[in-house]
Amino acid sequence: MEAAEIASITQHSGGAIGAAWLMIALPLVGAAVLLLGGRRTDKFGHLLGVLMAVASFVVAALAFVQLLGFAPGERRRGVSLFEFIPGLVDKVGLLVDPLSISFCLLITGVGSLIHVYSIGYMAHDPNRRRFFAYLNLFVAAMLLLVLADNYLALFVGWEGVGLASYLLIGFWQHKPSAATAAKKAFIVNRVGDVGLLIAMFTIFATFHSLTFSGVLDRAGDASQGTLTAIGLLLLVGACGKSAQLPLQSWLLDAMEGPTPVSALIHAATMVTAGVYLIVRSGPIFEGTGTAQLVVTIVGVATLLAGAIIGTAKDDIKKALAGSTMSQIGYMVLAAGVGPAGYAFAIAHLITHGFFKADMFLGAGSVMHAMNDEVDMRKYGGLRKVMPITFATFLVGYLAIIGFPLLSGYFTKDGIIETAMEHSAVLGWLAVLGAGITGFYMSRLVFMTFFGKKRWDAKAHPHESPAVMTVPLLLLSIGSIALGAYLILGNRFMIFLSPAVGAPEHLPEFHPFSAPGLATLALVAIGAAFAWLRYGAAEVPATAPRGSFLTTFARRDLYGDALNEALFMRPGQWLTRLAVFFDNRGVDGLVNGLAASIGGSSGRLRRVQTGFVRSYALSIFVGAAVLVGAWFVVGNL
Amino acid sequence: MTTHYLVLSALLFAIGGVGVLVRRNAIVVFMCVELMLNACNLAFVTFARQNGSLDGQVIAFFVMIVAAAEVVIGLAIIVTIFRTRRSASVDDASLLKH
Amino acid sequence: MNGTIPAPTIEYGMLAPMLVVFGAAIVGVLVEAFAPRYLRSAIHLPITLLSLLISFVLIVWQWVEGVPTKAAAMGAIAVDGPAMFIWGTILVLAFVSVLLIKDEGHFVGAAAAVPGSAEEEQALYEGAAHTEVYPLVLFAVGGMMLFPAANDLLIAFVGLEVMSLPLYLLCGLARRRRLLSQEAAMKYFLLGAFSSAFFLYGTAMIYGYANSLDLAEIGASLGVVGGQDMLLYIGGAMIGVGLLFKIGAAPFQAWKPDVYQGAPTPITALMASGTLIAAFGALLRVFWVALGGLDWNWRPVFYGVAILTMLGGAIFAITQTDIKRMLAYSSIAHGGFLLIGVIATGSAPAQNTSALSGILFYLVAYGFTTVGAFAVVTMVRDAGGEAWHLSRWAGLGKRSPLLAGVFAFFLLAFAGIPLTSGFFGKYAVFQAAVTGGALPLVIVGAVASAVAAFFYVRVIVLMFFSDPAADGPSVVLPSRGTAAVVGLAALATVVLGVFPQPVLDLAHSAAQSLFVR
Repeated sequence: MEAAEIASITQHSGGAIGAAWLMIALPLVGAAVLLLGGRRTDKFGHLLGVLMAVASFVVAALAFVQLLGFAPGERRRGVSLFEFIPGLVDKVGLLVDPLSISFCLLITGVGSLIHVYSIGYMAHDPNRRRFFAYLNLFVAAMLLLVLADNYLALFVGWEGVGLASYLLIGFWQHKPSAATAAKKAFIVNRVGDVGLLIAMFTIFATFHSLTFSGVLDRAGDASQGTLTAIGLLLLVGACGKSAQLPLQSWLLDAMEGPTPVSALIHAATMVTAGVYLIVRSGPIFEGTGTAQLVVTIVGVATLLAGAIIGTAKDDIKKALAGSTMSQIGYMVLAAGVGPAGYAFAIAHLITHGFFKADMFLGAGSVMHAMNDEVDMRKYGGLRKVMPITFATFLVGYLAIIGFPLLSGYFTKDGIIETAMEHSAVLGWLAVLGAGITGFYMSRLVFMTFFGKKRWDAKAHPHESPAVMTVPLLLLSIGSIALGAYLILGNRFMIFLSPAVGAPEHLPEFHPFSAPGLATLALVAIGAAFAWLRYGAAEVPATAPRGSFLTTFARRDLYGDALNEALFMRPGQWLTRLAVFFDNRGVDGLVNGLAASIGGSSGRLRRVQTGFVRSYALSIFVGAAVLVGAWFVVGNL
Repeated sequence: MTTHYLVLSALLFAIGGVGVLVRRNAIVVFMCVELMLNACNLAFVTFARQNGSLDGQVIAFFVMIVAAAEVVIGLAIIVTIFRTRRSASVDDASLLKH
Repeated sequence: MNGTIPAPTIEYGMLAPMLVVFGAAIVGVLVEAFAPRYLRSAIHLPITLLSLLISFVLIVWQWVEGVPTKAAAMGAIAVDGPAMFIWGTILVLAFVSVLLIKDEGHFVGAAAAVPGSAEEEQALYEGAAHTEVYPLVLFAVGGMMLFPAANDLLIAFVGLEVMSLPLYLLCGLARRRRLLSQEAAMKYFLLGAFSSAFFLYGTAMIYGYANSLDLAEIGASLGVVGGQDMLLYIGGAMIGVGLLFKIGAAPFQAWKPDVYQGAPTPITALMASGTLIAAFGALLRVFWVALGGLDWNWRPVFYGVAILTMLGGAIFAITQTDIKRMLAYSSIAHGGFLLIGVIATGSAPAQNTSALSGILFYLVAYGFTTVGAFAVVTMVRDAGGEAWHLSRWAGLGKRSPLLAGVFAFFLLAFAGIPLTSGFFGKYAVFQAAVTGGALPLVIVGAVASAVAAFFYVRVIVLMFFSDPAADGPSVVLPSRGTAAVVGLAALATVVLGVFPQPVLDLAHSAAQSLFVR
């Protein structure tokens, strides 16, 4: 399948696109005001935060409209901001194209809704202002990540979202588990970041540039081996940020953060940055079949692993986190397929942003009602007391399992079909994953909303306030309709093609293809099985011991144990060894050098006697030497 | 021949320079600096004579004016320090060191 | 027409920025003479600030109108791109320094009174103040403007003296630690006079060689006049001595730590920024315009001087225990880095432009940072005045994190850490030097930077990771002026470190026209 050409970048100024930097600047200013303003801004902090996010959304929407006004071939608009280090990144600029604007709309749109929701969710938290400051910081960094026109600025945004994520996971730092989770996320992400950094070094060494236009247009010039190396290193970065195997372990712990954070950062936006990176660097991956193969394998492995973890979790947020891993696995799989899959990857990313945020916020609404209880075994029968939450959650649930005509149905089916065309094994594994999704999501819904009440006596569940339910309703509308709109008639693929290229033949949508029917059947079986176990039957209040398979899934497939055995222990040994060498060898050398410089300094400073005549002597002698030197040099 | 005057100027300059190095009294040190400036003046005037232009002589006047201004400032500083320390020795003022 | 002298033409418009400053200084003297004592400082401050402002506006105006390409006042003063850039920089920094100077408590009430005497008590009691400080500063600033613009060695000498004489006096006016202050004044005066005698003797030799003091004519006479090389060599070297002394290059650096330590801190700030900038402007002009054809001679000599200066400054600084002396040695080391830029000038115009613009940017960046750093020093005080000893700075980060943070930031800028102005300054100069073929110097510069980074970081570690002394110094609540100075310097350090391009462009276009030859 041959890719269509990626359009070249047109320099642009003026209008909303020219003001695209405002999108980043507004939330950044919000964050700065809230952080520097201190307690003085407590009263209106949350409102300012929301305002900045919404304003950013308005700019994004206007830029989107303006972008649509151009012919498809001219929809890649470069906005140059200022000149920077010559040679490395000549000009720092933004790139507004169909790909980045899709992300902008998702980030600012869903972000705004989550900001609004947080007003209610964080209403009783004394540090609400700080929370909004971090949220704004996150939005700004994420927008920089997707709008940058070079890898360097992308990396700045990449680190920025990492920082915001760290701050927000550990927002309730008084809980040791939250502090640990934040650290874990930070460290695991560093591993990925190192991959990205080395990828950038390699890119610069190969192409002598870090701008997208300078690198991607000339990707064909590099050798196969170099491209493979760059591709795999980029993948390491993507795995860290997007919680793909083998760097997945932080995401489940990250659920220690406040639920809006889980919805915005750890479901809808930040964790999809890896998918963005792969799609944006498409020309590099397209030049190397090896890297693409590895990407697809990582995607499939993660989608299965995430789904399996999801089946065994009793913590509602962790179950959802497993599901996030799994869904991003789908996206990575599609991104690894090449131009045929890019549109589906991004479309699924967008619809997933809606329905997963919807469900996370729904879960947050449930927790809000249940005194922050997260154990689903203590829920049950909530559909009657929380009708709006239930209805919106149900929509999200149906969307994610791929219920016909809802968003997830179209986008996930697209991925499965594309994967099937690429390789039957990958396709069928993706179908299997869809079946497991049907099971664990149904289990979650049945345990939470159906069956008998299993609440504590102290819990008095109630529907959440409008400030929380309205965002839920808006998100569920997106969860229903967006998929059909994007996929039918290949609307999104055509829109995206100037930015990422498109396959020669546009795929057609077959509602009754074999994989599609098989998916539906498996999902139905999974849901039915879940109904038998958790809907119709009594759910025990404490988790049964279960088979070793259940334990395996509960322990996150022994991901942490593996990390400990493989990295932590040898790491500790290595550290001890390094400390030993550092103390004996390196420090000795450095200290010796420092001591000799310091010693000579100590002796030399005696030259500064304080006597003006000795200073005059040094001038006199210096002058004599200078004159002498002139003569010597002059007569050479 | 103007060479003699140039040699004299160089000698005066050197005497002034060495004087700065060996004398302790701040006033004398300062007078040695003035001697150096006047050595320069002599050189200027000599060159003016040698090259047949008036510039050098005009420059000498400029230098005198600047030197006069320098005297004012210098004496002010030296007198203050003398009043404080009851000594005009430049070697006594050596608190600032190392 | 024998005996008649044609009246000189003087382009008052081009010289206006300088004339405004000198005019205001003279008005200041009149104020001292006629205004009642209690009104003086209220009159001086607006006059001083306003004149600096007007002068700056005039420069901007002239810049926009178009940079002149011909020397003014019968070729005596060159108002060209680099000169105007240097003027603008000096004026801004002088303005900032005056904000620092205006604070009460830096200057002695009666300089003539013996410290500890009844006279001094009386002066303190009466609240006497030396308001002469303002006109003196204006004269010094005027001299700083004249010096780098002088297109004639005599004017350069006059400029040098006009710049230095007021500073000699100002150094002796510190309110506290009178003995140190007086000693600094005396040392600065004697050594300064000594070195300007060398400058003058060099001038005389050059005059003997070229029969002119006009820089361009000297430049033209090189290679034309034969058999007088001795005069030329002695002259060039001795002029170099005078200029290198003002920069504080080794082996003429000995005055710097003593004077910087003893002088009132705001004056130190003015000297560390303004004098250095003016001296570099003059050095570049003299050695490029007049002695450019002789670069085969002076370049190797400066090579050695630069290496000695960089390494000397960095190594001496390591064991300093006094914050002001440490900053003085840091200033010496920076002078060495800037000399690399001077050596990087070459015969190709593009090379000259890039070296010159690098130096100009470095001067701006360093000027702001150093004024900010000294402003911070004025704020950390204990019973005896400013707390200079480094041990007193231990744990400052715990007592006043903001101030310590800003100071740490300045130190990082001195060290040349990316995202600070210092980084781009070094980058610009080093890059020009590499393309100019001075790679060994750049390597020495990098080593010196590494050594220097050590003592900057040492102070940061001291401030943030040591426990504060029980009777440690207190940080005074800054006056509006001091706070503005610190804020402005920090802002400039950040902005020049993140968006250096506008100033780089400005320096580049200033350097584009090069010096009027």
